[in-house]
Amino acid sequence: MRFKAILSLIGTAVLVYSLNRSWNFGKPIPPLGKFLDPFHGFWKNAETKSMKPGEASLSGLSGNVSIVYDSTLIPHIYAANEEDLFFAQGYVTAKHRLWQMEFQTMAAAGRISEILGPAAVDFDRGQRRIGMVYAAQNSLNEMEKDPVLKKITERYTEGINAYITSLNYEKLPLEYKLLDYRPEPWTPLKSGLLLKYMAKTLNIGEKDFEMTNALKLFGRETIDLLFPDNEHVGDPIVDNTGNWKFKPTLIDSVAPALPKELVQIKPMEKSSPDVGSNNWAVAGSKTASGSPLLCNDPHLELNLPSIWFIIHLNAPGFNSMGASLPGAPAVISGFNDSIAWGETNAQRDLVDWYKIQFKDSSKNEYFSDGHWKPVQKVVEKISIKGNKPFFDTVVYTHHGPVTFDESYHGTNEKNHYSFRWIAHDPSKELLTFYLLNKGKNHHDYTEALNHYASPAQNFVFACVNGDIAMRIQGKYPVRRKNEGRFVLDGTKTSDEWHAFIPNDQNVMYKNPTRGFVSSANQYPVDDTYPYYVMSNHYEAYRNRRINQRLNEMNKITPQDLMNLQADNYNLKAAESLPTWLTMIDTLKLNPTEKQAYQKLKTWDYINNIESEGASYYEAWYRALYAMIWDEMQNDKLSLPYPTAYTTIKLVKEKPDLSFFDIISTPEKETAAGVVRKSFSEGVKTIETWMQQNKKSPTWADYKDSYIQHLARLEPLSYHVKHGGNNNIVNAHSKRNGPSWRMVVSLEKAGVKAWGVYPGGQSGNPGSPYYNNMIDVLTAEHYFDLHFNTSADQTKKFAVSTLTLKSNSK
Amino acid sequence: MKFIIQTLSLMLVCFACQFFLPWWSMAIAAFLLGYFFNNKKGQSFFAGLLGVGILWFAMAYYIDTATDSILTEKMNKLLPLNTFLLTTIIGGLVGGLATLSGSLFNKRKTSKYY
Repeated sequence: MRFKAILSLIGTAVLVYSLNRSWNFGKPIPPLGKFLDPFHGFWKNAETKSMKPGEASLSGLSGNVSIVYDSTLIPHIYAANEEDLFFAQGYVTAKHRLWQMEFQTMAAAGRISEILGPAAVDFDRGQRRIGMVYAAQNSLNEMEKDPVLKKITERYTEGINAYITSLNYEKLPLEYKLLDYRPEPWTPLKSGLLLKYMAKTLNIGEKDFEMTNALKLFGRETIDLLFPDNEHVGDPIVDNTGNWKFKPTLIDSVAPALPKELVQIKPMEKSSPDVGSNNWAVAGSKTASGSPLLCNDPHLELNLPSIWFIIHLNAPGFNSMGASLPGAPAVISGFNDSIAWGETNAQRDLVDWYKIQFKDSSKNEYFSDGHWKPVQKVVEKISIKGNKPFFDTVVYTHHGPVTFDESYHGTNEKNHYSFRWIAHDPSKELLTFYLLNKGKNHHDYTEALNHYASPAQNFVFACVNGDIAMRIQGKYPVRRKNEGRFVLDGTKTSDEWHAFIPNDQNVMYKNPTRGFVSSANQYPVDDTYPYYVMSNHYEAYRNRRINQRLNEMNKITPQDLMNLQADNYNLKAAESLPTWLTMIDTLKLNPTEKQAYQKLKTWDYINNIESEGASYYEAWYRALYAMIWDEMQNDKLSLPYPTAYTTIKLVKEKPDLSFFDIISTPEKETAAGVVRKSFSEGVKTIETWMQQNKKSPTWADYKDSYIQHLARLEPLSYHVKHGGNNNIVNAHSKRNGPSWRMVVSLEKAGVKAWGVYPGGQSGNPGSPYYNNMIDVLTAEHYFDLHFNTSADQTKKFAVSTLTLKSNSK
Repeated sequence: MKFIIQTLSLMLVCFACQFFLPWWSMAIAAFLLGYFFNNKKGQSFFAGLLGVGILWFAMAYYIDTATDSILTEKMNKLLPLNTFLLTTIIGGLVGGLATLSGSLFNKRKTSKYY
């Protein structure tokens, strides 16, 4: 009897133990007992729209903070001073977005293997090897020298930690329960890491290795034809022709020699060229109200929880609202009582690779200007869930880390390249945002931007006093022609960055005569600007459509600009499709091809949800692009791809270009041949798609936009039906698109604003506020961003309140 | 009768425990109840299985209805089995085994009270 009892007890204990821990049988399994327990497990993460008023007693506050949630779950924070305000911002952001905040900063720091296991090691090593933590630490050191910034980041950190401390298992965000780990304390370094994460997203699209290979394989002339520095299409962001009245900084004008090598490195995963943005501001002379209007619409990879968190921050001397980044204090794209501002990515090459000559295989010394200099070696410890840690040695030269070597993405490559990235330099971008949040006029905006280094942005501005402005702000090296397009010689300091463009010589203007400013990642400036400007990619279509519309429009209302943000006109198709259709011999088409031809011929170039022409065009374009640039598909070498604009232009203007020949076919194709073949191929693709999906190829279905949960969990992600595409003002492609749409009317009687983004304020997949804005965005609607001044006024449309009480004596 | 009372007691006591303590507290409660009720092996096991199983199911059902199945649907896709089934089985199995163990530890197999 005793024996049975003990056996049964042990059995129970083993069962309880195994249900209290996570397992991995090929697929990770959460601790099932803990996780399924309806008293504390995942069930407890299910929420409803109504929320009881809450109260929390916290140490670290000097007084009470009142937080009012409006019907979109936007918190309006009212604090007695700025210190409490940033504490509350940290607290409330963590309350809704803690898992995301931590996950993103762990991704930035190369620590995802700790959560997801061995599959993430390659990614983590990459993050360490481009010096993400090194960059964040440099930034943090600089921020801590600034007393205001130090205070803000510390208070923000304390607020987050006050929330983390209050968590028990029951209250943990769902993802922690699912992946079985707990949040660690927040630190100001994590805020720094988050900003570097954005910098990486916006800067790492460079193609120096690819261009170097192409130069060697195809020669200089072809490179200049396929990859012009400036496509000279549309208006630059700032056209100030002949009025750049400053004395530019000059450096040794001898351009670095062009490399003659092939680089056999497998480059890192890069940001999609679809990452970009639109912003513009219209002067009162063109608006119905007579007050300026400002719009911002950053296009980023669309994920859940959403990249932005809308917040209203109010304290004496401080009243701003807009999109914040969970993990960074203040508002990043928003407005206050006097001004509004927003950003788009300022494409410019801010990344270089220097070829390093090591003395020997120990890699302890490298050659620079006739001397052997010592390297610095950093041992990176990468902890891996369920495995032993991985140790990785990263070699740093004075340029930066040597990212690739025989152990990482460079098995066949004997040379080493050191990574120079502007984001490695000390900087304090958060000060810019803090000052913008408090800014009153154009002078304050200019002053705020002087502190901004990277990632470079096109900052649009408008003020209730009627001013509008655009400034492309970043820390830009003074470059010589072609410098930065290819790999550089790391043994000569003459090839390095010697000077930076002074802030007041950056591209900017105020109140231009055309009555509006705008940017959409196009070439930034007119030809008379005295510095060399180059990027891996400038967008050629969105800016032209936006400027055309803004030029035509008068008496503009906020609704007009909302319509423009949702504009689905496909300029790329309008410029290419008529030519391509003339190249098709309709007599040779089979019945399905004939149908497709008709659909394309009658298509109005609008990428609406229901449009079928848009799907046929896209399938055709993709097939054509792949057939033309099949030369760039190389198993051993990475090669660059020209832009859509250049591709389409070459089809029209250089029909005999050798690239039009499809390598895998015996005959020699010209432009018309490849257009015809890709048409058949595109139609076949659509046919196959129709058979697989059993529905007609309407654009939104065919495009199949997908908003993915950050841990790539399908059930927590959404397929959405929306119009638009890349190269269209409504820039919603499959994975990238409008991440935050804002329209601000800067009226003297009171600033009004509207906003929406494809997600929701809550990061909790069990909350109705997790995805409630997606359908609003795809219907091209906006939420009223209630921007009143007192908590009492805001309470009129509140769904709930949260009071943070100080428990310190 | 004793079986029914034991099952109901299990539901009540485990409910109270779990309100304040981690999930495995119900195993300890079930063990103690198994000991004190000192029922037959089979009956003890089933009392635990039903008591905790029903408790977990009811609680999960309550949350599910109150929140319009907002998370249940997502979890059904994420987990290998239906969440209600899984929740009930896991809760019931632990409850059943713990109650059985408790009853086995009690040597006096006859009860004065029932």
